[in-house]
Amino acid sequence: MMEGTASGGTSRPVETELDLIRKAQKGDRWAFGQLVHHHREGVINVVYRMCGDAALAEDAAQEAFVRAWTHLPRYKPRSPFRNWLYRIAVNVARDALRRERPSVDIESVVVASPERGPQAAAEVEESSQKVRQAVLDLPPASRSVLVLREYEDLSYREIADTLGIPIGTVMSRLNYARGLLRQTLTPYMEGA
Amino acid sequence: MKDHASHWLGAYLDGELRGLRLRWVESHVEECAACQSELDALLTLRALLLESPAVETITRPDRFVAQVALRLPRRQERPPAQRALEMSWKMVPVGLLFVLAFVQTVFIVAGVLQVALSLGLGGDVAAVVLPSSAGGVSFPDVFALSQASLADAFRVVVGLVQSGAALAWLPVLNLLLLVVIGMLYWSWLASWWVRRRHQQLTASNGLG
Repeated sequence: MMEGTASGGTSRPVETELDLIRKAQKGDRWAFGQLVHHHREGVINVVYRMCGDAALAEDAAQEAFVRAWTHLPRYKPRSPFRNWLYRIAVNVARDALRRERPSVDIESVVVASPERGPQAAAEVEESSQKVRQAVLDLPPASRSVLVLREYEDLSYREIADTLGIPIGTVMSRLNYARGLLRQTLTPYMEGA
Repeated sequence: MKDHASHWLGAYLDGELRGLRLRWVESHVEECAACQSELDALLTLRALLLESPAVETITRPDRFVAQVALRLPRRQERPPAQRALEMSWKMVPVGLLFVLAFVQTVFIVAGVLQVALSLGLGGDVAAVVLPSSAGGVSFPDVFALSQASLADAFRVVVGLVQSGAALAWLPVLNLLLLVVIGMLYWSWLASWWVRRRHQQLTASNGLG
C-alpha cells in the first residue's frame, strides 16, 4: 500500500494507492501523477532491462503510463497495480524493440567506483556490459520473465498474472533463459 | 538427468517449491554433487545478473511526471444514457430473479389455495372461487376457438377461470414460464460472456 504525499506546495490528505487509482479512474490527473511518481522507477527499469537503452527506456516508460491512463477505467484491483503496469511496460518495450534496433546505451554503463582500482573497475564494467547484452540477446518472451523475476522480484504467480501465461510456462521460460545465460556467461561466472 | 532435480532447481532457488517437492529437492541436493554444483551455478548467475546496475534515469522524477501529464489524452466520457443502459443491462439477472420469485410465489399460493379449497377448507369461499362446472366452459370449447371470434375466445378464457379449470393449467403454465425465464437468463449469460471476451481481447490488444 502506497502512501500518497502532497507535492507542488498543495496540501492533500495522505491517500492510499487504491484511493489514487479510483480517483485516476474518474479522470483525476493529479492522482494519476502520484501513481506515475511512485511507479516511475520500476516501470523504467523493466523497460530498460528489456531494451537496454536508457533514453529509449524513459520514452517507452512514458508511453506505458499514457497507455495505462487510457486503459485505467478497465483496471480492476484484483491484481496489484504494479503488476498491471509492468504488463503494459513489457508490451511497450516489445513494441519499442520492434521499431528500433536494441542497443547498449553507453551513458548508462556503470561508472568506475573510486574504491576500486582502474583495472577492477574496467573488469566490472566489462562484466556488466556482457551481462546486459546476454540478457538482451534472450528471446523477448524469456527475457520478460527473467527481468520480472530477477530484477523486479515478482513471484511466479505474479509473473503469470502480469504476462497472462500459465505458471508452468513461467518456470520453463525461466529455466530456458537461465540455461542460455549460463552458456553465454560461463567465463564471467567462473571468475565470479 | 531424469533422476536429477535440474528441472526444479530454479524454482527451488526462487522459493517457489512447497511440500513434498520441496523436501525431495532439498534432500536430493544434499546427496547429489551434480545438482549441488548446478545450484551453485544458478546462485552465481543470479549474483552476476544483480551486479548489472539499474538504469541511471536522465529525467528528474517531477519532470518525468510532468512530461507524462502533457502526453495524457483527454478521456472520453460515456453519455449518461449509455451508462444508464449499461446499468439496466447489468440488472437483467436481478430482474429475472425477481420475476421468477414472484411467479413461483403466485403459483405456490394458487396451488395451496386449490388444494385447500378442493378439500373443502374454504367453506363458502370454495363455492365462489370454484363454482360448479355446470355453467362453466369445458376444454373442448378451447379447441373450438379456431372458428370463434375474439369475443368468443375471451368468453372461453373467462369461463375457464371461473370454472376453476384454469387451475389445472397451473403446472403447465409454471413450466412454460420457467422455460421462458431460463431461456432469457441463458441468453443474457451468453451475451455477457461474448461481451466480456470482446472486452478482454480489446484490452489485451490495447495493452499490447
